[in-house]
Amino acid sequence: MITEVATKQKVKDYILKETLADVDHISDDTLIFETGLLDSMGLLFLIEFLKEEFGITVEDHELVVENFQSIENIVAFIDKKL
Amino acid sequence: MKSTVQKKAFSKDILHLENIEEVCENIMKKLRTDVAQKLQRRGGVVGISGGIDSSVVLALTSKALGPEKVLGVMLPERDSSDESRLFAEKLAAKFGVKTLVEDITGALDGFDCYGRRDEAIGNVIPDFDPKRDKSKIEIKQNIGQNIPAIFSITVIKPDGEVISKLLPAKEYLQIVAASNFKQRSRMSMLYYHAERLHYAVIGTPNKHEVEQGFFVKYGDGGADVMPIGHLFKTQVYQIARYMGVPEEIISRTPTTDTYTAEQTQEDFFYQLPFEVMDLIWYGWENGYPAEEVAPVMDKTAEEIENIYKSFDRKKKTTEYLRMKPIF
Repeated sequence: MITEVATKQKVKDYILKETLADVDHISDDTLIFETGLLDSMGLLFLIEFLKEEFGITVEDHELVVENFQSIENIVAFIDKKL
Repeated sequence: MKSTVQKKAFSKDILHLENIEEVCENIMKKLRTDVAQKLQRRGGVVGISGGIDSSVVLALTSKALGPEKVLGVMLPERDSSDESRLFAEKLAAKFGVKTLVEDITGALDGFDCYGRRDEAIGNVIPDFDPKRDKSKIEIKQNIGQNIPAIFSITVIKPDGEVISKLLPAKEYLQIVAASNFKQRSRMSMLYYHAERLHYAVIGTPNKHEVEQGFFVKYGDGGADVMPIGHLFKTQVYQIARYMGVPEEIISRTPTTDTYTAEQTQEDFFYQLPFEVMDLIWYGWENGYPAEEVAPVMDKTAEEIENIYKSFDRKKKTTEYLRMKPIF
């Protein structure tokens, strides 16, 4: 079974790769939309990544800031869905 | 030295044009200078859709340059509503402007615009039948949710059944890219007529379309001059009334006239009614604190803050559309 640490690393690696951001500038609680790391297309690609990597399908009602605003929140969302 | 100019208190009337005659005169004077002196062209071509923005631009252009120096071009295609053409004809007759109809369906078929779009819709909703069903894309989230907007595809069956699904990235991009052939084909046709007449293309986007990126780069964003690019939508309506645009056009709900299913601009993109969006945008742009705007708009300060953030996001994410080529 995938551990929370491994999930977090995968999500972080994905965001770093997508945004070409400096690893020192992203922590687990960085607000990824507020800081402009990801925009609406970024969110769409993130949803695609969750499907490909974890087999998770995001439903309409799950598109709320609490599920996606930071790496911490995304990991909690993945955990809830798996 | 500190400025002593005080900002007006935020109110629902803050965008009302008090001196409308002067505002219109200034727009027309600038248009004459832009077309004749800066662009060195003999007249103007306006693409007319029967919507409020292109109607106001046609009215202003015909008064500014003289109707004999203006050509109105209607550019319908397979998915356009017949009503749009009737309104456009009525408008052109009212302002004495010569018109042409250029049906761009053949050009769009050549690009396989419809096939590429319908293929992407079918990937998401396998039951989609483009011959019978109507479709549109829309944002279903509430603007106050403080998360970037994601589009859904909605298919309406002939019996009224509605099927709606979130669009995956690949299909969303394909639908938008295919649909953008429409605006880009229109732009090509407008420039054909502008060049054969030595006219300028007079663009029709308003302030929201320009600043929130609700236009197609090198499509409806491709024009020589945009006389209402600085005006809020409610101000465009005010000018429409002042210029005598036919009431049927003024009272129509603004649509995209791009997808087969009825689709308002609010559903598709803005997520707020114009009269609300205009005021909150003005508040955001001019640095009014959410606490001052909230009671006027009958919202909480938190809701206004979230709407401010969504404006900020839209402006940033659409910067690419407004950029000139980098070299």
